[in-house]
Parts: sequence; structure tokens; C-alpha cells
Amino acid sequence: MSSATETGNLALALRQLVKHFNGVQALSGATLEVERGTVHGLIGQNGAGKSTLIKILAGLYQPDEGTIEIDGVTHERLTAHDVEKLGIHFIHQDRLLVPSFTVGEALFLGREPRLAGLPFLDRRAIRRQAEKILDKYFGLKLPANALISELTTAQKQIVQITRALLDKPSILVFDEPTAALVRREADILFDLIRRLRADGITIIYISHYLNEIEALCDRATILRNGKDVSTVDPRTTSAAKIASLMVARDIEEMFPKTAATIGKPALTTNALTKAGKFRNVSLNMREGEIVGLTGLLGSGAKDLVRVLFGLEAADSGEIVIEGENGRPRSPAAAVARRLALVPEDRRGDGVALGLSVAENTTLASLKRFTRFGFLQSNREHSEVDRLIEQLAIKTNGRFAPVRTLSGGNQQKVALAKWLSRQSSLYILDEPTVGVDIGSKVEIYNLIGKLAERGAAILVLSSDLPELVGITDRILVLYRGVVTREFISSETTPDAILAEATGALDLRSGEHRNVV
Amino acid sequence: MSTVANPAIKDRFTPKSFGEGVVRYAVIIALAGVFAFFSFATSTFLTSANLASILVNNFTLLAIIAVAMTFAVSAGGIDLSVGTAVDFASFAFVSLVLSGHSVGLAVIAALASGAIVGLVNALLIAGVGITPFLATLGTLFIGRSAQQLLTNGGNPVYLPQTGIPPLFGFIGHGHILGIPVPLVIVGLLIIAASTLLFSTRFGRVVLAIGVQQSVARYSGLRISGHIGLVYVISGFVAALAGIILTSTVSVYIPNSGNAFMLNAIGATFIGTTLSREGRPNVPGTVLGVLLLSIVANGLLLTGLSFYWQQVGTGLLIFIVLAASFLNRSSRSD
Repeated sequence: MSSATETGNLALALRQLVKHFNGVQALSGATLEVERGTVHGLIGQNGAGKSTLIKILAGLYQPDEGTIEIDGVTHERLTAHDVEKLGIHFIHQDRLLVPSFTVGEALFLGREPRLAGLPFLDRRAIRRQAEKILDKYFGLKLPANALISELTTAQKQIVQITRALLDKPSILVFDEPTAALVRREADILFDLIRRLRADGITIIYISHYLNEIEALCDRATILRNGKDVSTVDPRTTSAAKIASLMVARDIEEMFPKTAATIGKPALTTNALTKAGKFRNVSLNMREGEIVGLTGLLGSGAKDLVRVLFGLEAADSGEIVIEGENGRPRSPAAAVARRLALVPEDRRGDGVALGLSVAENTTLASLKRFTRFGFLQSNREHSEVDRLIEQLAIKTNGRFAPVRTLSGGNQQKVALAKWLSRQSSLYILDEPTVGVDIGSKVEIYNLIGKLAERGAAILVLSSDLPELVGITDRILVLYRGVVTREFISSETTPDAILAEATGALDLRSGEHRNVV
Repeated sequence: MSTVANPAIKDRFTPKSFGEGVVRYAVIIALAGVFAFFSFATSTFLTSANLASILVNNFTLLAIIAVAMTFAVSAGGIDLSVGTAVDFASFAFVSLVLSGHSVGLAVIAALASGAIVGLVNALLIAGVGITPFLATLGTLFIGRSAQQLLTNGGNPVYLPQTGIPPLFGFIGHGHILGIPVPLVIVGLLIIAASTLLFSTRFGRVVLAIGVQQSVARYSGLRISGHIGLVYVISGFVAALAGIILTSTVSVYIPNSGNAFMLNAIGATFIGTTLSREGRPNVPGTVLGVLLLSIVANGLLLTGLSFYWQQVGTGLLIFIVLAASFLNRSSRSD
């Protein structure tokens, strides 16, 4: 234990936290110490361990090792209930408010004012108190009778914060609070956070956005690979420095990159726009090209992929695939135009765990193996065996359920499905997440071979060294707009991260527009 | 890879251990068990007359309706309105024969009526996006009221003893090469349905939708069309049962088809245990129907009350599904 004077100033100390999930190490000795009355940033790439750390603090996970100290008291175990009693509250946009409740009901859920000791709700009292609180903290005339479902995201957030403030919290944790807010709303939120700090409340602020950390935080802890790598003062530390701390530098991976001949245009978009998600996106991909696309959560990159593959409709703009103009209206229409998508949620959307390797592999290309409506199993099976061999899929035969394969081999099956379809335009969304290093390199090799054979490949990845290693060029989406294009051989993960997190916003002093 | 070194995968048909074999072939073991039990417990069970009666009286109709159900369950849904399709087919069949139309036309109209009930489900599920359970439940309720309205509150529609074309009775009572016509129809249906679900592109797509719909969608398959067609087929197949039922008893009794629905669901799910991956399959469904038919017949012969038959059926479903659940949870380790 540290001495009393040292801990006296700390509102919170999580020390040397270790957490495993099914053999995967999410935290490997992460420490977070937060001084009382400060705004403390927590920053790191996807998978760095931010959410695991916060869920431990919230009492949702129990750490395998490490100590939790709140207000100088060490806690062996924390339950969600303990945490609330200790005055720690969480503002998360996924934290659900019941949509059919009114603002007042949502605010007082669990502590409803009652009518003179009777088991009836005093609806008028609820309404009056709710309006008073909203007016006091936010200067807002939010009608307490409004339904939660009628509110904007920002308004819902205000309801959440107000609900937390009713409990006179000592620590407020904001988890990616601006992901769904427009700039003006975010500015209001920042103002509020500064006022809360002035009232003596300790704030933990989790964000991807370096500029927010820089503008708001007194201290910031950077997580990488489940560990805290540094705690800095963001006002005196350059964004580039923070970005380089976030990106793993010690893993030298092999990225086999072969030169492919660049051919005809494969995919072109003109001023593609989907309101609230992305706008004016103009891409130009040619046969044989591997193009990277990256952006933070909420940057619109995922939405762009969904629109390209016909899963969602765009509002305006053109999509031209192999010279044919027209936005795909459904995945079926996209697949018919030889588009392939390896989705990020492999086990949800990419492969059917309950189907066999063979059934998964031919799912998008059944027509090839069908005659008069009947499946020709001989032809189907010889194609499946060919692909199992070509991609080195480790499986106990073509009839093994995909459930029994490792993550990397499942991903190869997801790819084999499109090879069997003979697709020409591949969209790979986080193709190596949860894939072991050996399969990763095999997947990189395969991507290279596909390009050599004339396929155009769009790779979405938040693994920036990977993206720089395997692509020809990289587009960065920031808050719905393609802000910059990098030539992969002439850039570094740091430069891309700085662009993606909007760190350059601050340096140039210019404010980019938000969708 | 340690995860793929699972010897159970190599040969899909050989269980790993004796215990796994027992749960894997729970249906067949249960079938043999109840067969042996009733052979000893009653003097009348093991007679050719009784065995034939099981097939014609207990098995036929439930088998057809359970095959219809198997289509919906294969696509990851359920069809609570199979009985409604049976009833509407029966009503159409009786009405057309009564009004002097040919039996052939009446059969076509009956099949079309069943298919229309299925089409309503298809539109609600694939078009509007209502979950299969609620959509077919709605169809069940509407169908029930509609039949009461059509028959002045549920009066049966009898066919006269004379003046009906002989072909009408042939469907329910006739023989082809010594085999009862209903059994011939069921036999052909079983072959057609298992071929359709197991050996065609359509069957594979339905399977993929049933196992993991979002993967099927992300693979560019047309989901709504296939799901819709499944419910039309379900209604169409169930209509066959309506035709045979009506031909056998020469009467249309409103809302009589719903009695089969729960047993059909039971048989379909008992049948899934026959598949290693727990998939709905026509042969399994047929074995499930056979099991339920033997239990119903045997319990009747032992002289137990009708209510105990329901208990017996329930226990059987419970035991077979529990065995299969144990099987699957032990396999996922």
C-alpha cells in the first residue's frame, strides 16, 4: 500500500490489472491513477483494453489480478451495485434508456417520488423535479413529459448525465461520448464537463479523438496491448507523440507485398452521400489495386461499406462497378455484380458456424454447382477440396462444421466463399481481427495473389501497420469525409493515426466540418 | 490446430462413444423401446391389422402435416397455421364436390386453398417482416373465425351417402397395388420433400437461412423469396392432409386440422435429433411421427384414458429432446 499522503490525492487507482478471456489476454498489467478533481483521458486503439478496464471499474468484470482502490480504500471485488454506491457513474451512449418512458420517468427510475407513502407514483412531482434539474444544470427547457424515443442522441445524453448528477457522484466516466454527436453538441458537452470539474467532480474521459483529449483533459493515460504505456499531460505533449505511443512499434510483422498490374477501373464512386454518416465520398479503384480505408468509430467507414454492398441505401451519389453505373439495392444485387464482402463480424455475418466447410464455401456460388435445380455434389466437393488446399484451410475434411475451426481458418472459409464465386471486387472489413499470426500472413499473401490476378481489393482496418504494409494507398475518413489519401509506401502508421484522430485539426487550427 | 483435431468430425455417421451413440440415435432407440413395450403389454398391438391401422389411421395425416412443418422449421421459422391450411383445403374440397364439380378440379382447388393460406403467411413474414410465430398465429386465429363464419358458427358440412363420384372415396379408402392410397401419397411426398430439402439448391438456401440468416444475406442469397416460398409449400403440403382427411370421413368439420399442429411440431423437433447438427430433416420427422403414432395407438390399446396419451406424448418429446440437448452440449466442449 502506498502512504496516505500519496493516495490522499487520488480519487481512483486501478493497479496492475490483468484480465483473460478464454485464453486471450485483454489486460496485461494496466494501471490507471486519477487525481481528484481532474479530467483524466483514457486513450488507445481498438482492442487496447479500454473497454475491459472500464468494465472492471463498473463492476461488470472481475480482474484476474490487480487492485482497485477508490478514495484510498482497496476493494477486493466490485459489483455494479457497489460502484453506484461509491458514487461512480457511467455515461455511455449504448447505456439504454427505456424508449417508451418519459424524460421524468427515466430520470427517476428506481427512486420514484411517491404519493404520501402510498405505492402510487407522484407523476406531478416527478415532472416538476425533472424540469427543475434540467433547467439548473443545462439551462434547458426539455419537457419532462417528452418520450425518450423522441429525443436526439445529445438530449438522451443530457438525460443520462442528469440522472447521474441526481446521485451527487464523485466520479463520472464518459465512454466515447461524442461518437454520435455533431460538433455543436460536442462543444456543449465539453463546456458541461469543465463546469463539472469546477464543481469538484472527477471525470474519466475515454475517446479515440486526440483533439478532444487535448482540449479537455488535464492528464491522459495511453493504453496499448492491454498495458498503460504512458501517462502524459496532453496540453504539453504533441498529438504526434501521443499517436506514436498508441501504435504498437515493437511488432515487426512481415507484409508480403507483390506488385500487381493496374488495370481498368473496377469501382468508382462519385459524391456518395448518406446523411449523418458520410458525404461526398469519391473513390476510384482499379483492377489489381489494394486500397486501404480507415477511420475511427463513427467516421463513416463502416457505413460506406454497407452502402457499397447494398446493405443500406445511400442518399445520393453514384456507384460505378466495372463500368456499370447504379447503386446496388441489396447484397444479392451487389454479389451479382461480382462484389464480395468479408464482414467484420465473422461469426455473425461471415461464416455460418453450424454449416460445414463445404456448405459455407459454396453458399454464394451455388448456381455453379446446380443443374435443373439439383446440386451436383461431386462438382461441389471437388471445388471445395481445391479451395481447402489452395488456402491451406486446416480442417478435418469438407464436412467439418465451421464451428470447429480456429478463427484464422474460419476467416479463410469466409474468403473461400468469394473465391468460389469468382468475385472481382473484394471488400475486406477487419480481415485479420482475432486471427493468429500465421494465418494473418497467409491471408496477406492471398490478398496479394488476388490483386495479381486482377481483383480490386478494398481493405478496412484499424490495424494501421497492417494497412500500411499490405495496401497501395490509404484513404482516411474523418467524421464522414475523406480527409486525405496516403501512398502506403511513403507514409507511417503514426501519420495515418494522426489524420484519423483529427490531431491535425488542432495543429492547423482549422475546424473541419462535421456531417 | 488443436481445435480441429476432433476425431468425431472425420466420419459424420460414427458416434464417438457408446454414450454419444445412445443420445444420437435416441429416436430409433425410443422407437424400438415403445414397439417392444406395447408388443408385450398388449395382446393386440403386434398384429398385422393393428400395425396397418397405425400407418393408415395414426401415421398418414400427421406425417403429411409434420413434413409441412419441417419446411418452415428448416427455414428457421415455424408454421402454427398448418391446421388452417388443412381445414381450408378440406372446405374447398367438400364445397366443390357438393356443388357437382369433378373430383380433379376439387383437388386442385383444395391444394390452391392450402397454398393461399401459406401465401398469407409468406406475405406477413417475408413481406411485412412479422416473426413466423406471430404471423402464423394470426393466420391461425383469422382462419378459425373465418371457418365459423363460413359454416354458421362451426356446423360440419356432410357429403350425402349417394351421388358422389367414386374417385372421391378412392383417395381415402382405395388401394394401388394393394397399398392404401393415403400411404402411397405419403410415400411420394416423403421422397419429394426430402429430395427438395436435401438435394436441391433451394433446399441448401433454405438450410442456410435457417441456420444463420445473416450469413445467407451477406452471401447474396435472396432471403424473402425463399422464406415466402417455404410457407407456400408448407400450406400446399398441409392441404394434402385436408384432402385425405375429407375423403376418409366424408365430412368437413371446421377447425379440425389444428389438432395436428402440436404433434407436428413435436415430431419435427424429435426428428432434428437424428441430425448431428440438430437440423430439421424429413426422415427424422417421419420417424418422429412414427414414434408418436405408435405411442398413441399403444396407449389406446392398454386402455388408458385419452388424457394419459397426451402425458405419454409429452414425456417422449421431453426425453428425446433432452437426450439430444445433452448430446449437443457435450459436443460443443
